Amino acid sequence: MGVRVMVVDDALFMRNMLKDIFIKAGHQVVGEAANGEEAVAKYAELKPELVTMDIVMPVKSGIEALQEIRSANPDACIVMCSALGQDALVVEAVQAGAKDFIVKPFKEERVLDVVRRVLG
Amino acid sequence: MDMSKYHELFLSETKEHLRRMSQLTIALEQNPSDKDGIDALFREAHSIKGMAASMGFENTASLAHHLEDLLDGFRQSGTVPELAVDRLLAGTDLLEGLLADIEAEEPEQDVSAFIAEGEVLLSSQTGTDEPSGADTDSLAEETVTTENRVGTFQITIDLAEDTLAPAARALLALEELKQFGRVVSCEPTEDAMKQGFAVKQLVLWLQSDSSEEEIKQKILTMPDIAKVSFGTDRRNETRSSRMDEDMRTVRVRTALLDKFVNLTGELITNRYMLQSAAKSEDWNDVQDGLNLLARLVTDLHYHVLQVRMTPLESITANLPRLVRDQCRKSNKKVKLEIVGDEVELDRAILEDLADPLVHMVRNAIDHGVEEEGTVQVRAWREKDLALIEVSDDGRGIDPASVRKKLSEKKLLKPAQIKTLTERELFQWLCYPGFSTAGEVTETSGRGVGMDVVKSAVENLGGMLEIYSKRGEGTRFLMKLPLSIAIIKILLVECDGNTLGIPVTRVLRTLDIQSDEVQLSGRQKIYPLDEEVIPLYSLSRMLHLPETEASTIHLVISEIQGRKVGLIVDRLTGQLEAFVKTLVMPLSQIAGVTGATITGEGKIIFIIDPQVLFEAESEQFSMTEVEETA
Repeated sequence: MGVRVMVVDDALFMRNMLKDIFIKAGHQVVGEAANGEEAVAKYAELKPELVTMDIVMPVKSGIEALQEIRSANPDACIVMCSALGQDALVVEAVQAGAKDFIVKPFKEERVLDVVRRVLG
Repeated sequence: MDMSKYHELFLSETKEHLRRMSQLTIALEQNPSDKDGIDALFREAHSIKGMAASMGFENTASLAHHLEDLLDGFRQSGTVPELAVDRLLAGTDLLEGLLADIEAEEPEQDVSAFIAEGEVLLSSQTGTDEPSGADTDSLAEETVTTENRVGTFQITIDLAEDTLAPAARALLALEELKQFGRVVSCEPTEDAMKQGFAVKQLVLWLQSDSSEEEIKQKILTMPDIAKVSFGTDRRNETRSSRMDEDMRTVRVRTALLDKFVNLTGELITNRYMLQSAAKSEDWNDVQDGLNLLARLVTDLHYHVLQVRMTPLESITANLPRLVRDQCRKSNKKVKLEIVGDEVELDRAILEDLADPLVHMVRNAIDHGVEEEGTVQVRAWREKDLALIEVSDDGRGIDPASVRKKLSEKKLLKPAQIKTLTERELFQWLCYPGFSTAGEVTETSGRGVGMDVVKSAVENLGGMLEIYSKRGEGTRFLMKLPLSIAIIKILLVECDGNTLGIPVTRVLRTLDIQSDEVQLSGRQKIYPLDEEVIPLYSLSRMLHLPETEASTIHLVISEIQGRKVGLIVDRLTGQLEAFVKTLVMPLSQIAGVTGATITGEGKIIFIIDPQVLFEAESEQFSMTEVEETA
């Protein structure tokens, strides 16, 4: 029943935390990536229903990855993960087609709300 | 695409098109086979249709489309039937109504009934030939769309106190709403949000066929949304009306903008010149710099005022239509002449003048012109004044019947009534309640609303004069300042206080010897030209101590149509004053209309002798004036 999710973040800690939240809620984490470039490649391979994408990452930023994924897959459902004080970047991501965003530190409930909403 | 930034432009352009539509239609009534006229009218309707459709105002667009169809038929037949003129005018009126709805941010009113009514006319006009059939089809389709109950909602979304990245949240909410239909306008604008504007509340207009509940539920699933409300609550009303005020736009010729840039450049150069002159303490250069500065500021002042200047045409353009309708109602044949509608006045003045002008023209038709005649609206400039005159060639006002009315209403004592000159007498037509619409006699109707006209003119710092000759007609003359923000004032001194009197209120100034003053009872009088005028001490009117002097300085002004002399201690000069309006409680002082600050930082109150006089009427009643005679 769960949603096929891919988690993208350069910090293993954040990836694991999100993974735990999703799995506990019955979702399926089909893949993870540690930078934007990996994310683009894995998206093409796995076609997840939902991606959580960190904004600031090495090699390729989350926004660049978002743009690339969406230009190949206009329906891609990507939720951005930002830290406090990154408002301008979040606005940029929303304009680039992010479906929603969550702000660190994550609250379990909030993360799941967003998933429900963007896929609902 | 965010259309809200075009909203203002849409409104102003459509208004212009509608104005021309009404003018063209009336011209066509006179000359129904004017092909160019029909073409021009068609193009106006077409432009409105295109703009309204782009803005998503469907009712406006389909009505314009409907009129366009009607006109297309006339293009083919080459003539506009008499009956169709009313139809076209009614359509123009309805479009105006729709525009007013849009301007008031309200849903567009329903036009399907009007269109359905017209379809009968359309089919009878062009018969059943092919092209018009197709047209009617496409029209019917559009009507269906409008009947699909597309509502326009005003939606206010409040974000939660602690929303993170509020601009992004608001943008997402906006995206979400776009799924429901068309977002007509949005505050803050989408662009502002993209710039990261810290949004707390989003107010927008949405055209959608979804229900309020559906929309609300969907938005509330989003995080950080504190409240979603529909309609206009009071707080938003005041907010958006203030916004409207701030967002009002004017069109400015680019040449004028260039002039501003040049002037700014010169002012900057002037600043450096003054700075270096001051540094080297070269007082000649400082003086030169100051002279240049004075010239530049005068120039700037002139050009800034130009931005606000609008031709009189903006308020006379609808008069032909008004005259036409009024003639129909009263069964009269009246020719309207408009002369000098290119004269420019401050737009604030024009706005306040629009209603009085309509009123005077209506009065001229109803009570001036008999069966047939001419009503003329004429405007011209005289120095710092704009003069606007509404005249008719009717029978004129009968002074005897005004006198009769005055005594019937017991407004004056019989002796007073006898001594009034015609000029003074006619001023009584503007006395509130002098005549009522209920009693239609030769003169009564003249007074209907004239008190409103008079106070509008006087509030603008102008004067209203009435001239009439039996058998020759009546003239209402408005003398108005060109601008209300900056006016010329005459500086006078009373008991050491400097006061300003708008020069529009001053007929002339005069110095006389104290032994030239005569007494009539207790009233001081002075023979001026052929008249004997009463003299009043401005100091006394202001409750200041009066001083006696051998030379008396007089300011001749006009109060209630009668010349009076105001005695002041000194005439100190003239000043171009930037008038600041007064706030509570100062604004409550009768006769004080504003204030200005001099170069030395001194505050000068500007007084209006007429209002001051009226306020002091207990001490300076007409009874006292009467004693002069």
